[in-house]
Amino acid sequence: MKQTLRYDQYSCQLMVEGLPDVSVGQSSNAIGIITAWRLAWVGRPELEGRREHLCALMGAVLPYARHLISGVSRNFGEGDQPVTIGPGEGGDHRLELRSSQPDTPPLQICLDDAELADLVRVLDQLRMDPRLQLGLPVPIPEPLRPRELLDRIPLHRRLAAPVGGAAALVIAASLAVLQPPPAPAPGSAAPSSSSSEASRSPGQKSARPATDGGTGTPATTEKP
Amino acid sequence: MAQESSPSPPSRPLPRRGLERLDLMLLCMEALDFNGGEAMVWMSGKMGFTNLFPNRVELWKRRCYNPLRRAYRRGELESHETDALIRILCEMADRLYPMLRALLSAAEKVEMRQRRWELFDDRLAQLMRERMNPRRSGVRQLLDPELGAAQRRRLVQGLALGAGVGGFDRLKASLMDPVS
Repeated sequence: MKQTLRYDQYSCQLMVEGLPDVSVGQSSNAIGIITAWRLAWVGRPELEGRREHLCALMGAVLPYARHLISGVSRNFGEGDQPVTIGPGEGGDHRLELRSSQPDTPPLQICLDDAELADLVRVLDQLRMDPRLQLGLPVPIPEPLRPRELLDRIPLHRRLAAPVGGAAALVIAASLAVLQPPPAPAPGSAAPSSSSSEASRSPGQKSARPATDGGTGTPATTEKP
Repeated sequence: MAQESSPSPPSRPLPRRGLERLDLMLLCMEALDFNGGEAMVWMSGKMGFTNLFPNRVELWKRRCYNPLRRAYRRGELESHETDALIRILCEMADRLYPMLRALLSAAEKVEMRQRRWELFDDRLAQLMRERMNPRRSGVRQLLDPELGAAQRRRLVQGLALGAGVGGFDRLKASLMDPVS
């Protein structure tokens, strides 16, 4: 009655053992109850656990892969989750597994892109297998929000356009302020000079030299 | 019950950026497989999309909605047409997964990996020069040997992570992202 599902990829092999849930009428070759699973890596410790650990692994790895397709690298499964995956050094991916056994340090595995793709494929093969008649809670992939996509652009590139625009505005405004005001036209100078004459006291003399009639030659100024 | 292909996001057309990426990913498939064009048509028939893409011309016309193309068609693709193209892409990526994996694997010898990338980059550049508008900044950036390397790697990585039936939902959700 015990069934074993096996999925092989280049760098890993996933085996899931279980039993059909006869109470709901599942066939003998189906798995409705997962009793154990093992994930064997080439050159790495073998992972094993219970159903909730498998769900945690799928719940972290598959959304991480989805975000990677959009170019967004961030951690998944943080907090008290038994499985965490996130970007590592040099473009690798860091998978951290926390054991439910006490006094067991967390296991960290570094995966390259190919190994991550292998892991994603075996998990996909498992969840798409019609023999696995058991709901595994995996988030449904959705389009990302603009805010999430914005974070993948470096900060200096995001700020380049608004800072450049503000700088251009400041420079243009400064140049406009530094421009000398245009000289007033001759016709428009008279009203301002008569008003300035009226504002002066009777004893004051105009600083402008008086001109002689229309010749333009300065006349002699009166001495007080 | 096994988790079926989860319900797709609401049917709406792919945004412009999504169309670009979809066509570029299909182009990557052609760069990896010299008979990629023929394989695409064959795959389309095998998957039952003959009513949508009865021949290679109809398939080519759908791909020309990519704004980066020389022969660019204005308008939008129907959601069932883009779904079919994405499924074809996932199936082709599944078929060529060993080659995608070889490009991404750090376990390969550095010289071998570099040689694979050179062959892929050369073939992709050749296809892009034939079909894409070289005046578009996106095309120029992708063709740049240094600036486009990270973007080309992301395309290959996206194909590897979206390969197979299970990758359809991931790939479609990514192509539906609102901005680039």
